[in-house]
Amino acid sequence: MNPVITAWSAFSPFGAGADAFRAGIRAGVPVPGLVPGFDARAVLGKKGTRSMDRVTALSVAVTGELTTGLSTAGLVLGTTGSVQSTMDFTRSSLESERPFYVDAARFPSTVMNCAAGQCAIWHQLKGPNATVAGGRVSGLLALNYARRLQAGGRAGTLLCGAAEEYSAARAQLSQDGTVLGEGAAMLRLEPPGAHDGLADVVALEFGVHEAADAGPILLSCMRRALEKAGAKPGDIGVLATDRAADEALAELFGDHHPERLPCATLIGDTSAAAATFQILAVLTAAEDDSALAGRLALVTAVDHDGSLGCALLRLRRPAPITVSAP
Amino acid sequence: MTGQPKTDPARRVVITGAGAISSIGVGTAEFLAGLRAGRRGAGPITAFDTTGFDHANGCEVTGFEPERWIERLDPVELGPAARFAVAAARMAVADARLTPRELTAGHVLVSVGTTDGETRDLDRLVAGDTDLAVARRASPARLATSVAREFAVTDVEAMTVPTACAAGNYAIGYGFDAIRAGEADLAFCGGADAACLKTFAGFYRLGTIAPDCCRPFDVSRKGILTSEGAGMLVLESLASALARGAGIHAEVLGYGLNCDAHHPVAPLQESVADCMRLALADAGVQPREVDLVSAHGTGTQANDRTEAGAIHEVFGDRPPRTVSMKSMLGHAMGAASALAAIGCTLALEHGFIPPTVNHVETDPECGLDCVPNQAVAADLRIVQNNGLAFGGNNSVVVFGRYEGVAA
Repeated sequence: MNPVITAWSAFSPFGAGADAFRAGIRAGVPVPGLVPGFDARAVLGKKGTRSMDRVTALSVAVTGELTTGLSTAGLVLGTTGSVQSTMDFTRSSLESERPFYVDAARFPSTVMNCAAGQCAIWHQLKGPNATVAGGRVSGLLALNYARRLQAGGRAGTLLCGAAEEYSAARAQLSQDGTVLGEGAAMLRLEPPGAHDGLADVVALEFGVHEAADAGPILLSCMRRALEKAGAKPGDIGVLATDRAADEALAELFGDHHPERLPCATLIGDTSAAAATFQILAVLTAAEDDSALAGRLALVTAVDHDGSLGCALLRLRRPAPITVSAP
Repeated sequence: MTGQPKTDPARRVVITGAGAISSIGVGTAEFLAGLRAGRRGAGPITAFDTTGFDHANGCEVTGFEPERWIERLDPVELGPAARFAVAAARMAVADARLTPRELTAGHVLVSVGTTDGETRDLDRLVAGDTDLAVARRASPARLATSVAREFAVTDVEAMTVPTACAAGNYAIGYGFDAIRAGEADLAFCGGADAACLKTFAGFYRLGTIAPDCCRPFDVSRKGILTSEGAGMLVLESLASALARGAGIHAEVLGYGLNCDAHHPVAPLQESVADCMRLALADAGVQPREVDLVSAHGTGTQANDRTEAGAIHEVFGDRPPRTVSMKSMLGHAMGAASALAAIGCTLALEHGFIPPTVNHVETDPECGLDCVPNQAVAADLRIVQNNGLAFGGNNSVVVFGRYEGVAA
């Protein structure tokens, strides 16, 4: 009983929209950093954007790419919100003549569910609406949250994704000196049984690690996922992982070498959005290589704050492009 | 959802452990005593400098010694919210009498709700603190992963759920679904937050901080008092609890969640009512069967009017008694609905209704029996816990008294 990914979009350092992401992945030229030219007012208009922070604007924008034809849907978003908004708000309290001379309109941006709530308001998504946080694993946790909502009969179609913004505050807190990126990546997820789609979400497994033991715990995670899928390492045709997974992958695969897709090396460390971007990289590869149809894709994520996880997707043959008669 | 009847012990979800850290008591026994006594957690705020505010009362946790509870992790590596979460989880595990072997034997889920994560630490960084340990522990993801690390469990899905002031209910709902589906053997669920300047200044600016105390549903209510703490529950299937001879506090019957899609901070009555209906339907409960509503009950003019209106929509002219534990606890943000959930559990188990304190005259616009000022004895079977949040994120959980004989 696997949910089905039926559509996706992205605002990434490659640019706005799915086509920009596809083109960037295909070109393979690193462009880490900001989503070029992205500005809330330019993309979403002046109304309702005066106090909107970047992570919220990115989320609202990417959600709007996928809401056509959706009347009732929910949203699950992996994000830790805008640490910049939070710290700026505190700073304005500390630096004002009175500590409560803060901009009330910016207060909602200081809580982490602001982006998901604004997506609901902008696009009238009245179904379940949840925000989940797990560092680089957030996108996989969000996918599992969405899967459970559907399995429990609590939601039909869901939008499921993750978002992160580029900011000075994030750089201040960044622990490993990575080159930062940003963006929002979004999947449209249908409950099990959907006929048309891009990939089935076959297994999601998670763990928590100490700094030294991420490898063995990730390996155990991947083995559980394969067991759930009734598959072997050799059934995996393509990977999108980060370097933290190297040791575990070597042990899992031995002599089998599935194609390994770059993602963070191209768009930078997108933290909370990283794993969802990796899923998009896999879906893009599947569009380009029909030999991947029916095969498994593996996405892994390891976060320095203790989370790790992996997803197995079964790639479908992309539907032929149909041209309807006039 | 699974096609299984709800009487199947493998599909029924029970609470076998609870840990509470609150402004009215640290430890579940103290929390229970506080609820029974109608204890008030309010006092002058000490967590941050309140110079320049005309009034600055809050409900802070006092007498909390993290090292008394936290066994494996170094409290210095944990932010103040994570310290609350981990310590409350330890209390819950001790209460559930889980052995180290039982903790690591199966699949575990940890879901910890929060509004502010470690914003008290972020406030310190903004103020110029250069302590690297503070920056390292700032990620809100650590609320959940620290609980898992404290118990040395590795086969675990650890998720922080930052859905603001309904986050505790969200986290409990998520654990409920995982246990009910047989996907987790144990779930540690709840919420945690530490009081911080950012949130106090924001609510103060909105004009929603009460000058002295929190008076939910009172005609002269003036708003919230910010507070802090953590509530953590141990959930497992009834079959699992019976097999290991665990004491059972109460049963989780179901929950609902939805989104107003209306306003960033103001709740929408019809949507709040819908969320209660979703929860009752999920629990298989009729409105007339509900014995008590634990309201979100912040004590602001707008929240209480809207929430009371929604309660009347769902329950009609004679709604069940409806209390706000925030009158005692203050608004513990992401911990609020988790602490209230523990309050519901204790009320079911011990047969009493926690009072709405500081109450003088019920607002006729609310029109609820809020059990003013004194706890009362009551034979409760079904209790509903409301959580409403910024972003229009609503979640309501329904608890039932466990009727079986506990071992």
